[in-house]
Amino acid sequence: MNSAYKKEIRYTLIFSVLLLICGHLGLLFVAFPSLQNKMVFGFPSQYIIPVLMGWLGLMVVVYFQAKLCNDLDDEIEALNDSTGHIR
Amino acid sequence: MEQQQWVLSSPTLGMIFVAGSFILFYVIGWYSQKRAKASTDYWTAGRSIGAVTNGLSMASSYMSLATFLGVTALILNLKVPFVYMWIQFTLSIPLITLWYGTPLRRMGAFTPAHFVRERYGLNTSYITVIFMILIMVMYALGQMIGVAKVFEMLFGFNYNISLIFGGALIVGYIAIGGMYGTTYNAAFQMILMGVAFIIPLGAIMKAMGGTGWYFPPLLYSDMVPAMLEAVPDFFDMKYGIKWYAALIPCFTIGAMGLPHLGMRVYTASNLKSARNAMLWFTFFCGITFSATYTMGFSGVFFEATSGQTIVPTDFDKITLILNSVYNPAWVLAFVIAGAIAAGLSTISANLMAIGAMIAQDIIATIKPNLPEKTMKVIGYCAIAGGGAASILIALDPPTFLVVSILWAFGLAGVTVAPAAILGVWWKPANRYGAFVSILVAGLTYIIVSPYVFPNIVISTGLQAKLGMSGSLLCVPLGFFLLTTVSMITERIPSLMARIPVQQDKILVDKIHGWADYSEERYNSTQAGLIIAGISLLLCIWAVLPGGW
Repeated sequence: MNSAYKKEIRYTLIFSVLLLICGHLGLLFVAFPSLQNKMVFGFPSQYIIPVLMGWLGLMVVVYFQAKLCNDLDDEIEALNDSTGHIR
Repeated sequence: MEQQQWVLSSPTLGMIFVAGSFILFYVIGWYSQKRAKASTDYWTAGRSIGAVTNGLSMASSYMSLATFLGVTALILNLKVPFVYMWIQFTLSIPLITLWYGTPLRRMGAFTPAHFVRERYGLNTSYITVIFMILIMVMYALGQMIGVAKVFEMLFGFNYNISLIFGGALIVGYIAIGGMYGTTYNAAFQMILMGVAFIIPLGAIMKAMGGTGWYFPPLLYSDMVPAMLEAVPDFFDMKYGIKWYAALIPCFTIGAMGLPHLGMRVYTASNLKSARNAMLWFTFFCGITFSATYTMGFSGVFFEATSGQTIVPTDFDKITLILNSVYNPAWVLAFVIAGAIAAGLSTISANLMAIGAMIAQDIIATIKPNLPEKTMKVIGYCAIAGGGAASILIALDPPTFLVVSILWAFGLAGVTVAPAAILGVWWKPANRYGAFVSILVAGLTYIIVSPYVFPNIVISTGLQAKLGMSGSLLCVPLGFFLLTTVSMITERIPSLMARIPVQQDKILVDKIHGWADYSEERYNSTQAGLIIAGISLLLCIWAVLPGGW
């Protein structure tokens, strides 16, 4: 039970950080101006990297978020069943 | 440079497409609502919606008329910083699902206010409902005005008649369909707006000489050198670190507090379906948003390279202007129908949230044993009432309307998000803390905005008007008050004896899926102190001058 609970907290914090990174890469470019104006796929880096991460990068994170959280639900349910609780 | 005032030359095709789409919305609404067996099904679609439909309707509810009109106008004005502001909106549903969507779905909530009532008691839920209704009315108001303006342009009626006629049509199909109709209509509207936005954009790019026309959302790098030559500051970041940091409390946490988004998670057939829906949401939102940036980019490119000047009052028509210049009339008509669909999907979600809060969170709480039939009538009346209020305010709209929708995000972040997030994840959060946090932080946000007391502000300019500076102060203030007041009152036995502390704590374990109760879970004092400390530092940073 304790490990599933800790896992739940850990997943929530880790995925929150990953989601925020995907959606707020602008902060990185304003904090480190030397990263700006490098051309990536024909666009300035400060433009295309946040656009790509805010869509495709986010999809990858969300895929793992859905998968791991669904697995965790199963784990909690199995724990509930093993302790004899009827829900 | 030639300056051209843009007007719709041939409205007949537009009228046909819009009339056709409205007929479809009514048919979908009518047939969908037949599945509702009980009055509670009316608000949650019987909690039966599959992942793809839900993902589509989540994206559709979120994408408003602004996607077609306002965003491109603001890209023309603000350029790349505005793109940053828009990118982070895609985080909303994944964060809601992660932090409180699935626990509230497990609890069987109708709205986030329903959870606030169960967790923090009636008084706190009433303040929350008032703030939420205010947020939803402001949100719906902007859409109503936008749809009325499109109707005005299409049918040639004056603004007031367009507003009342269009508003009545909209409220009608939402009331008939309930959450079933709203959800299936929203899914259909997402497909309509996606196709109406992206495919014509490909034709525009091809006509402009872009070689990546077959995938408009990402393939326009060949236009970048010409853009840099014509508009050298297009990719400049312009603002300071505080501006970009303030996007998080204002729009990311703000979106987490929007009740109509949370309610989409509660319609899911099960928790796994809700999580899979967020993946679809991210896909549909991402592709359409990315195409929006391309449209804004193309608008700036068009103005800079075609020799034509777009007057500032026409900035929000850039999507229509580009389609009228490069595409045949029937395509423009289709795009207009897509724009209206974008507005309708958002209004319908807003009105469903208002209706559910009035019917389920206020009336059903005061009079819990009303017959099923009466509750259905109350539901229709609540939606019609919310719609009528939006229409009446839209007859004489507030002067700060252009930014009011974005400002409402901040208010949601200040009043709803801290209570919902800490209520789900931190047992020591109690009724006193939540009451003080929502009331004080909410009122402070209103006071420091430039609209009420223009002399009491913590910043000026765009960040103040959009609510970014207010949110940077008030969202952490909300978290700080909730944690500190809860931790202080927890140590006053006479106060704790007045509230059902144990019952509130048991609810937390239950909504996380635990069948047994453990005092250890979600109960860390250390976590409360860390949140309070970080929040206090952020409040201090927010009021320090400079950094914008």
